[in-house]
Amino acid sequence: MKALTNINARSFADAVAAASAATAAGQAFAFSGGGTDLLQQVKDGTNTADVIINLRTVREARAVSVSTTETLIGGLVTLTELAGHAALSGPWAVLREAAASVGTPQIRNVATLAGNVTQRPWCWYYRNGFPCFKAGGNQCFSVHGENQQHAIFGGGPSYIVHPSDLAPALVALHATFEVTGPGGQRRLSTDDFFVLPSQNPARENALGATELFTGVRIPTPAAGVVSTYLKITDREAWTHAEVSVAVVLHVDGDRIRTAGVVLGGVAPIPWRLTEVEQFLCGTVLSAAVAGQAGALAIANAQPLAKNGHKVPMTSAAVERALLRLALA
Amino acid sequence: MSEAVQPLTTIGHVTPRVDAIARVTGQAQYTNDIKLPGMLYARVLRSPHPHARILRIDASEASRLPGVRAVISHDTAHVVWGAGAVAGGRQYNDAIKKTTLQRRYIFNNPVRCVGDAVAAVAATDRHIAEQALALIKVEYELLPFVLEPEAALAADAPLIWPEGNLCPDVHNNFAPVVSDHGDIAAGFAAADQVFEQRYDTGFVHNAQLERRCALAHWQGDTLTLYTPSQGIANCRHDMARDLGLEDRQVRVVCNYMGGGFGNKNQNQDADLITATLARHTNAPVMLEYSRRDDWLGMHGRWPTVQQYKVGVTNDGTVTAIQLIGYSGMGPYRKNAGGIGGLELYACPNRYRALSPVYTNRTTSGNFRAPSEPHGVYGIESMMDDIACKLGMDPVEFTLKNMLRPTEEQPFTNYSLDACIQLGVEKFDWQARRKAIPGSDTGPIKRGAGFSFMMFRAALGMSSAIVQVDARQRYTLFVGVTDVGPGAKTTMGMIAAEALGVPLSQVDVVSGDTDRCPYSVGESGSRTTIMTGMAVVEAVQDLQQQIAAHGMPTGDDVLTASATPSPTIEGKMRQCFGAHFVEVEVDTRLGTSRITKYVAIHESGRIINPQTARDQIRGAVIQGIGQALHEDLLYDPASGQPLTTGYYRARHLTHVDVPHIEVHFIEVDDGYGPFGAKTVGESGIILAPAAVANAIFNATGKRMTSLPITRDKILGVLR
Amino acid sequence: MHDTPDASSSSHKGNSPSSRTAIRLTVNGVSQSIEVEDRWTLVELLRDQLDLTGTKIGCDRSECGACTVLMNGQPVYACSQLAVWADGADVLTVEGLAHNGRLSPLQQAFIDHNAPQCGFCTPGQLMTATALLNTIPRPDAAQVKQALVGNLCRCSNYNAIVEAVVAAGAQQGGAA
Repeated sequence: MKALTNINARSFADAVAAASAATAAGQAFAFSGGGTDLLQQVKDGTNTADVIINLRTVREARAVSVSTTETLIGGLVTLTELAGHAALSGPWAVLREAAASVGTPQIRNVATLAGNVTQRPWCWYYRNGFPCFKAGGNQCFSVHGENQQHAIFGGGPSYIVHPSDLAPALVALHATFEVTGPGGQRRLSTDDFFVLPSQNPARENALGATELFTGVRIPTPAAGVVSTYLKITDREAWTHAEVSVAVVLHVDGDRIRTAGVVLGGVAPIPWRLTEVEQFLCGTVLSAAVAGQAGALAIANAQPLAKNGHKVPMTSAAVERALLRLALA
Repeated sequence: MSEAVQPLTTIGHVTPRVDAIARVTGQAQYTNDIKLPGMLYARVLRSPHPHARILRIDASEASRLPGVRAVISHDTAHVVWGAGAVAGGRQYNDAIKKTTLQRRYIFNNPVRCVGDAVAAVAATDRHIAEQALALIKVEYELLPFVLEPEAALAADAPLIWPEGNLCPDVHNNFAPVVSDHGDIAAGFAAADQVFEQRYDTGFVHNAQLERRCALAHWQGDTLTLYTPSQGIANCRHDMARDLGLEDRQVRVVCNYMGGGFGNKNQNQDADLITATLARHTNAPVMLEYSRRDDWLGMHGRWPTVQQYKVGVTNDGTVTAIQLIGYSGMGPYRKNAGGIGGLELYACPNRYRALSPVYTNRTTSGNFRAPSEPHGVYGIESMMDDIACKLGMDPVEFTLKNMLRPTEEQPFTNYSLDACIQLGVEKFDWQARRKAIPGSDTGPIKRGAGFSFMMFRAALGMSSAIVQVDARQRYTLFVGVTDVGPGAKTTMGMIAAEALGVPLSQVDVVSGDTDRCPYSVGESGSRTTIMTGMAVVEAVQDLQQQIAAHGMPTGDDVLTASATPSPTIEGKMRQCFGAHFVEVEVDTRLGTSRITKYVAIHESGRIINPQTARDQIRGAVIQGIGQALHEDLLYDPASGQPLTTGYYRARHLTHVDVPHIEVHFIEVDDGYGPFGAKTVGESGIILAPAAVANAIFNATGKRMTSLPITRDKILGVLR
Repeated sequence: MHDTPDASSSSHKGNSPSSRTAIRLTVNGVSQSIEVEDRWTLVELLRDQLDLTGTKIGCDRSECGACTVLMNGQPVYACSQLAVWADGADVLTVEGLAHNGRLSPLQQAFIDHNAPQCGFCTPGQLMTATALLNTIPRPDAAQVKQALVGNLCRCSNYNAIVEAVVAAGAQQGGAA
């Protein structure tokens, strides 16, 4: 590997200060939670960091605290902890299942919530070092090339798909994203946190250059909330989603009061299916309703030359995720 | 004449590997585990372009980096790699290597694929070596490139070699390889119906878990090379030839190897680069490939295009089989590029024209049963399709048309009927197979498929030495490296059985050309038969000596060696197999899941039931990976490989693999060591065909392209 | 504590020496104090500095699992941890499974069930399985597969590896 300097941050403030100092010294830096993805990118040269700011030594943001109105999940909670956390039972299934679906146990044991949500795309052009939008360049190689794994919603001028499993779950749960940086702390809604390529093709989220995503605030799910995360992958594990669906339903008696339905693997940001959510309100979940929701989900899909298969997959995934909850 | 067999004293009993303790404690030393004093580390710079002429290399800044001891490239190290490209793809033949027209060197100019080696660095530290690579300045003139074999044969295709893109045969003639039996025109004339279909199969990397590496060390004019090799004797001879040395000046050592799966039974350019750097620096040099280096710098199974035309009479008799085939060999032809399968059928009229073609993709080379799984997939998908169209059960169709012994061509024994019958029974073929393909209602559909084969179990030359000392401990010297099938243990068991002593009284010495005699090398499923025969004969010789002179006393040893070269007069010797697969296809998601897999094999007498069973199971799972997932996708616009590595190629994990049920039918045909045949490659041959046929039975859709990924399934279903 | 590279070397990004840091960790029960380059991975530290070559590198990219070790009891990919991040950690490698020359029941089960073919993935599979048996003493096949999903085997000896781990659990009810 290239020469590196590791800095063990003792706090988020420490980490941000180290980031600012590195930038001032003309050095590239990267924040590291679990570090597995970061090290890959450093070894491959698609991340040019000279300074690694290690967050494993940060004491903050490692807890899950549930109150009646709000749940706080620290950004440095590992995916293993999330997948099995005692406080995240019952209605939190979508988040547990999403966390459990990432990578492998070895990855989940060190990977963090923050790292998973902010990971860079896995597009094979970007990761193979092509000088594309995501690498600071000015073109997308997938749009007229090999785009089997690319976006069917929201694409343009970059057609990457958002690589995080936690992100659709958090969006479906109406999370607020907490960020800290040189200018202090701020909170972003999901709409503001995730960035479409049409807004800025070089990044996937609204974090400033030396800002850190430190955790989420989620309105604690009411009684009657059921949820699930359905992920379809090219082999049964250790793979990013071809298509995934995060569903959160607030059910009253047998009727759906509110619905959150968010797709992963199909758009540059977690893709909220607003029309499907509106359609579901007031319905009783049945096979027919699930089927209609699936059809509605793909009404505005815009496949590229080689990823048309994602369209029927998305429809089937939405339908089956809903049916899972109907049977529960 | 074959007889049902019973286990012998040692042979036929489950036996733990003799080196198992070393493997489970981390004590087993693989090449990269070795450290020599003063050892330097090496890295290879590789072409970022699919086809380019190197105009200039400036290594001055790299050479000045503190810690760098040598930088070599095509202008400073012009070393031929005889095994890297051979006329006709014919390995193990010095004469052909010397007359090969299109020579491959350790560094070539022009470079002909992304990943082609350009330069190499040796430094005191691997990180310094990597940093030095980044400082080497190379000026390229880009050349046009071509990625697909049919496109490479077009009149206006970019030339990868001056003579054109068709690979030459062993005589340096540029013509397709034709095999023509009977009268193909008459065969089609005699047919009631003629069917045509095109199939294509992807590139499948060997992907052994140990990344390529090599450690070279000169002492005067003697070279010691530690390298992961399936054949230390062949590797040694290749090194000597390429470096202008005598065999006795080269020692090759490999005690443990992390998988090979083919075409590592010779030297590699990594070995020559390392030896050259070691010579330049006068120090031991350890070259370590990254996983990407291995993917692009080693090899995998050739991608193919197969155009079939088959004639049948209405009662289901095949009258003519024609294959026009293309194999994408990459820019250098390491191996034959064969497409097997036609010879499984009795049909007397068979015509195959095979064009191995150069392309600007990574090199193709042997991978477990090199010519078989893709060809068997093609021909048996074709026949399965025809059987269905004629309203025949594919088993019935096969029994009618498969090759059987004849008076003109007898076999040492024949078990294909028995294999198929046992499979039908164990799998419950009649219950699981859908009489009408695709007839399950609902989106989740099940179906069953089957495939059959025979595969050579030929005899041939190899060597063994066996010694006994005064304590009646026997030492067996065999030139194997035990890449996974358990050759040390198998050879030890054969020796123990022949000697009439327990295995614990036998030590096996292997993996070092200074200590072991010639071995054919662990490829082509030959070690058990050929080296095993040598062991048997060496033991017979030793027993004669003991009878004549008595056991040795004091410090004396008795030594016997044998280098038999047995043949079978006029008879075919084959192993046999039939696989039965049930698959469940989710037709809304395109996912295929195997719900039952039964593999029936007749491989003569089974020496070690446990390692033999796991050779089949492992090979089957590799074949499932080939059928459903593995490929190497290139970006057509840039010629860049996009899916190198285990993540991108979606290699099967623990949760992906089904349980594989294996049944051996054991016979002793009177040949080979105790009647043993081959096992190592057999299991992979049938898996893609059986899985593809099962998917057809489940969905009613014929999948004509491997791998059968979900986008292809969803594509045909819409 | 570490030495930062000085300003002059940072201008030659390809040439600057890597920072070094002193760390302490326990490996197979033995305390180690060692100065590492910040860029060294944990697996490099184990293999090159501590001569524990039982842990293998198959991909160096978290894609294969050959480098799995236990860090504070949990399986991790040693290729994807910087050595400096292991400061203060308790690391167990394949060399630490046997005690006083006695194989663990899991190691013995691997031998009995032919779990190693080429043997290259074996140390990683053993480490992950050891951690599993410490939490689920008698796992069934499905639990073994889920726990070991992050360990590839290209010889594809998956069936035998699972059989070995299930047998080890059934026999002993634990990895110790």
